[in-house]
Amino acid sequence: MRKYLFIFKTQIISNLQYVGNVLIGFIGNFVMLFILFNLWKYLYSDPSELINGYNMFQMTWYVIITELLWMSLGGRKLVGKISEDVITGNVAYNINKPYSYVGYVLATHLGDIFIKSIVLSILFMITGLVFLGGFPSLTLVNVLVIILTMILATVISTLFASSIGLLAFFFENSRSFWWLYSKFILILGTIFPIEFFPGVLQKILSFSPVFVSSYGPAKLFVDFSWSTAWEILLAQLIYLAISYGICEFIYRKGVRKINVNGG
Amino acid sequence: MSVIEVKNLSKTFKVKIKDKGLKGSLKAIFKPKYKLVKAVKSIDFSVEKGEMVAFIGPNGAGKSTTIKMLTSILYPDKGKIKVMGLDPAKDRKKLAYEIGTMFGQKEQLWTHLSPYDNFKFFGAIFDIPEPVVEKKIKELSMLFELDEFINTPVRNLSLGQRIRCEIVASLIHEPKILFLDEPTIGLDPVVKENIRTLIKRMNKEYKTTIFLTSHDVGDIEKLCKRVIIVNDGQIVLDDSMENLKYHYLNKKIVDAKMKEKINLDDEDGITILKDKGYNLKIEVDITKRSISDALKLLNPDNIIDINISNVPLEDIIANIYKSKK
Amino acid sequence: MLTEVKKQLKVSLLSVKYGFMREALNKASLFSSIFFMIINNSCMIVQWIVLFSLKDNFGGYSFKEVLLLWGLAASTYGVSRFFFRKSFNLSQTIVSGALDNYIVQPKSVLLSAIISECEPSALGDIIFGYIMYFMYGFKIHTFILFTLFTITGGLMIVAVAVILGSLSFWLTNSDQIADVGNSLVTNFATYPDGIFKGVARMMLYTIIPVGITNFIPARAIISFNPTLLLINIGATILFILTAFAIFYRGLRRYSSSNLMNARV
Repeated sequence: MRKYLFIFKTQIISNLQYVGNVLIGFIGNFVMLFILFNLWKYLYSDPSELINGYNMFQMTWYVIITELLWMSLGGRKLVGKISEDVITGNVAYNINKPYSYVGYVLATHLGDIFIKSIVLSILFMITGLVFLGGFPSLTLVNVLVIILTMILATVISTLFASSIGLLAFFFENSRSFWWLYSKFILILGTIFPIEFFPGVLQKILSFSPVFVSSYGPAKLFVDFSWSTAWEILLAQLIYLAISYGICEFIYRKGVRKINVNGG
Repeated sequence: MSVIEVKNLSKTFKVKIKDKGLKGSLKAIFKPKYKLVKAVKSIDFSVEKGEMVAFIGPNGAGKSTTIKMLTSILYPDKGKIKVMGLDPAKDRKKLAYEIGTMFGQKEQLWTHLSPYDNFKFFGAIFDIPEPVVEKKIKELSMLFELDEFINTPVRNLSLGQRIRCEIVASLIHEPKILFLDEPTIGLDPVVKENIRTLIKRMNKEYKTTIFLTSHDVGDIEKLCKRVIIVNDGQIVLDDSMENLKYHYLNKKIVDAKMKEKINLDDEDGITILKDKGYNLKIEVDITKRSISDALKLLNPDNIIDINISNVPLEDIIANIYKSKK
Repeated sequence: MLTEVKKQLKVSLLSVKYGFMREALNKASLFSSIFFMIINNSCMIVQWIVLFSLKDNFGGYSFKEVLLLWGLAASTYGVSRFFFRKSFNLSQTIVSGALDNYIVQPKSVLLSAIISECEPSALGDIIFGYIMYFMYGFKIHTFILFTLFTITGGLMIVAVAVILGSLSFWLTNSDQIADVGNSLVTNFATYPDGIFKGVARMMLYTIIPVGITNFIPARAIISFNPTLLLINIGATILFILTAFAIFYRGLRRYSSSNLMNARV
């Protein structure tokens, strides 16, 4: 574990210099939030009106949290980097190293996005405050639980993104899979809470990665209850195991393919 | 007739300086600091038709900046340039038809296409009619010995083959002047030699004026009759290769291994470079003292091994840099 | 003058052809990236299905009209990325000193710098755009208008990219600003202008010219009005001229970078 912590720390330090880039990048994020805020304002004729159980205040905060999770993730870059590693054969250098590749990727990427996530969190909170004039009422313990679910959500998403990047072992265009995955999360998980979808789809979504990687933390933020919190944490733990397993499995399969090719 | 005329040419770059670390980055965003770098300081020279001129100097001396001003890539701050009677800063397109350029560090070919398709593309860029291009490609591929791989995608060629293709690409429109910026950078000695022979052959065949920058003394020695040496943005020497050699090559280095120690002091025409008892290195100025004279001083019976050589051109140039500073 | 334009066009088309040939070397990856892009765009329809289940009119647009808006956004984006992909990397081209090779050629430096590479998945965007148009409803005259607006809109997006990319002549690290600016243009393009009010709305018709590339064309297709057409064409020409002017102004400051690398 210590070596992963070390990788994580080094990565954080080397990313300190890019804070300026995060600030400029935020302009783009802000615009996205601005558009969605306008959309909700247009949709809600009266801010206290409830649509599928959400008022405008909750709806906007929901989007802010899901967008924050998504923007912090940097998934496209991660998928690009891993598939590049696979295609150029760099991944082979990791085979003989005394660490788990999945652990290495996780530590590097989380270190990579650590600073960015913190800066973005602050900026997104300010944005929400400017748009809506206040936060949902939460206790300190609630906030800590929400942060925990956000971290878990990011870890799970990182593992899924890594798995997709590793698909480059088998498919030339692994980035296309990332597109599909990102569309899936963006359409079904960030703009609307899953309550907005018809019955069957709602059922499916509550078992899908959407529930653990974006809906969960955002739902807790706008409408905290302990029963939902436990439910989400449990689902996240299960998904953590699943996503880790998938990632490790694809990596092992893929590496074997390299060895065969290398003769 | 001069094909290149340069008068009083200067160029200054504004370079942003950034302090290290996060604080430095933040500072650079809000309050950038600049430093003025004078890359070229008021230089003058001219080049006659058909000449092969070497334009040399250490890194950052201003040679690339100059060649880039001559080819319209950079805007000069001050001074006058006429290339084929045109002002590069104003008549970029017109000038482009007259000159060819090859920058060793900047490839211009499409790597997924064959040299042949690339040459056809360059033919289109320079508005050359189809049959003329075909003929020209045939001719040049013969001269540069490209036949073997003219239909192989460029990305599958060796570096040497690529450079040959790059040169041919810059010759498709029959330029009157060819600018070569570090043409042999990164090549192995055999390939370098091959490229030089080809450039020489081309100069003979087409009487193209060649203006070349290089780090490589071999390029200059083998190719050019005239040398312009720049350092720190100024011309420190503009002379014929022969003169350069005459002035500096009438010195010989004698490196001898002796049986017994001898005591020798600097005297007229002899400079001691190194004296380690049994190993002796002296410089002999043959205008003042003949080699046989010098050998007599050493006593031929006392010599185990001896090596007499010219002063390497690198050292000559280095000396000129130093003395002119 | 006219022959010069013709010769320039010949070289530019050849560049597009060669750029596309590079991508077409691998047929499977070419088709899959086009196909995925169509699927990718189609996903967004889900969002509007949900939104229209909550309200039957967004900023004056019906569902079909939103599809039209989407179609325009996709096809203009596609044209800009397919033919002029490198205009979105102009900053890097300038900073890395890659303009040298174009400057020594007797053709337009700007066009050489922004053509020469092609984004194959953008073909998927163009196809998707037309699919959306057909879902909105086909009529000869709107088809011609849609095609015209696809071209003008694509050129307008490229002009904005060139203006943003040219900032690199003056500013260091402006490539990030350019990226953000370019994404603004695409982000706004898919939402009806009616949901924005005040300053935001004004910006969409000026500095972020989405209003001119998308909202005005959509309105002109829904009910034709020659003034809208003229505004669109006029604004496109204005943006293109501005882009050229700024780029060539900046080119005087170009510092062909391998020297800088050696120096700093």
